[in-house]
Amino acid sequence: MSAPILATENLGVRYGSFVALQDVTLRIRENSVHSIIGPNGAGKTTLFHALTGRIAPSAGRISLGGQDITRTADHERVRLGLARSFQVTSLFPTLSVRENLRLAAQGKTPWQALAPWRRAEANRPALAMAEAMLERLDLARVALRAAGELSHGQQRRLEVGMAMAAAPKVILLDEPTSGMGIDDIAAMRALIRDLGRDHTVLFIEHNMGIVMNISDTVTVMRAGRVLVEGPPAQVRDDPEVRRAYLGNMITGDLTQAPTAKAPEAKAPEAKAPEAKAPEAKAPEA
Amino acid sequence: MLPVLDRPLVQFGLAAATVLILPLTMRSGTLASEILIYGLAVAACNLLLGYTGLLSFGQGIFFGLGSYVAGLSLVRAGLPAPVMLLIALALGALVAAAVGWVSIRRQGVYFVMLTLAFSQMFYFLAYTFSGLTGGDNGLLDIPRPRLGGAPLGDAWTYYAYVAVLFLALFAALQRVALSTFGRTLLAIRDNESRAGAIGYPVRAFKVAAFAISGAVTAFAGALHAMLIGVAPLSNIDYHTSETLLIMTIIGGSANLFAPLLGAGAYLLAADALSAIWPRWLLLLGLLLIVITLFLQRGLWGLIERAVALVTRAPPPDDPTPDRPVVATPEAGR
Repeated sequence: MSAPILATENLGVRYGSFVALQDVTLRIRENSVHSIIGPNGAGKTTLFHALTGRIAPSAGRISLGGQDITRTADHERVRLGLARSFQVTSLFPTLSVRENLRLAAQGKTPWQALAPWRRAEANRPALAMAEAMLERLDLARVALRAAGELSHGQQRRLEVGMAMAAAPKVILLDEPTSGMGIDDIAAMRALIRDLGRDHTVLFIEHNMGIVMNISDTVTVMRAGRVLVEGPPAQVRDDPEVRRAYLGNMITGDLTQAPTAKAPEAKAPEAKAPEAKAPEAKAPEA
Repeated sequence: MLPVLDRPLVQFGLAAATVLILPLTMRSGTLASEILIYGLAVAACNLLLGYTGLLSFGQGIFFGLGSYVAGLSLVRAGLPAPVMLLIALALGALVAAAVGWVSIRRQGVYFVMLTLAFSQMFYFLAYTFSGLTGGDNGLLDIPRPRLGGAPLGDAWTYYAYVAVLFLALFAALQRVALSTFGRTLLAIRDNESRAGAIGYPVRAFKVAAFAISGAVTAFAGALHAMLIGVAPLSNIDYHTSETLLIMTIIGGSANLFAPLLGAGAYLLAADALSAIWPRWLLLLGLLLIVITLFLQRGLWGLIERAVALVTRAPPPDDPTPDRPVVATPEAGR
């Protein structure tokens, strides 16, 4: 296994006396699609907040590409190549879709943007990135609309696109399909799989269909700890996982999988689901 | 698509037209100058309120500071007016950056309270250090600037001086608003936490917005002191902050020109009504209530509606928060 691009060492987060995250040690391999699942309250979003620097961990260390970023400010981490999308859509609602993307692309060189005399158009790479993202997200036709006026599916795509626009090494997606309709989910799945080709993707997801289909590695969390980690097939069959999920948000493949004891041996990596379900970019509604 | 009225050239055209129309329609050159001076201060105020989403009660600090800079530099140090104006700009930026740096540590109500506290503090500082500021009396006998050896004694001559500087600073503010910086301010106003999450050091942007706003406000304060020949204590009073905010809200905070409407309306109303009824501020309160309830885009919103009627385009929805729109020059494609 190559050196991890993103890693945590015994990461812990407390809110007062409540332990939200404890002893979380993660190794995210470069250019892999790594998903994090777990029942509500398992600490998944808290983990993201700690990874992106929104909250300070109370214990442990985080490193990005070998560099310790435990105490690095959130906007600094973006410059180092870490970008995220949010579970609750968080856009610039009165600004145009193109402007949202341009701002996200420009966030890579934030101090340059501080110049009050520099025209926005002078940053050509940011403009080009915004254009490229409009195409990739299938949002070109609504480029001039205010982001707040888009449909839910479009807003979710823009949400993910804003993380992509920073051209990060590692992209963190917090429930990218939350609240989406079936058509939109297909488009999002295609987008995430596409991302996995040239990015490292770490994502939180409740839709097991997506998780089991496109992940290289799945980490299951419960009550602030890592329960199980491994390739999708192995995780699916793990009795601990089945117990953690019993009565909880049973979606997709997880429940349909045969009950079998988790094999001790690691499932071959090559089981990556390239062959499954043809992905078509869903046309805009 | 950027509405016609919000395009930079149209905005500047409106400001220039105002500068030309005032002398043709008004009798008092002093009042006309005052409108432009306050117009500059409220445009600067709107850089914080409309563009950055910061309701600052500290603008009076910088206005008063500019007045004192005028008094001290021109009377005590005998510096020429242009040098004094540059000092006002620099000092305004410096003090505003300091006030901003502390205040933006908190958000919402606490931010507002901090600026209010600073406002009171600076007022009492000015009051206490009367050796420097003249205390209650203010600094007297501030001369008008000289051009070609003669002071600009005549009200309309001084108006011309103010008008040129007003247009120059208005254009500079426009440039700021259209820059990468200004457009990032809009993002911070829209969604501060996301702006941080996509990489912007939000605090640095807010402090810079404060500095620019403070510089222009102090500049306006200095022009004001030269207009009335005094640097009064009232210029640094928190009532000045309040007045600037009220002007901005009456005019509308959608762009840089809108607040100028507010300054004009406020000062003209004050001039007309105060002659009739000493308690005219009561009527102003009513006007503010009406605007806040029914006309959230301010007087500017009325103009937008009028233009929409003429061109038969739908006016912007009134209930949507009154905010500047981003200029996207590529918008026409």
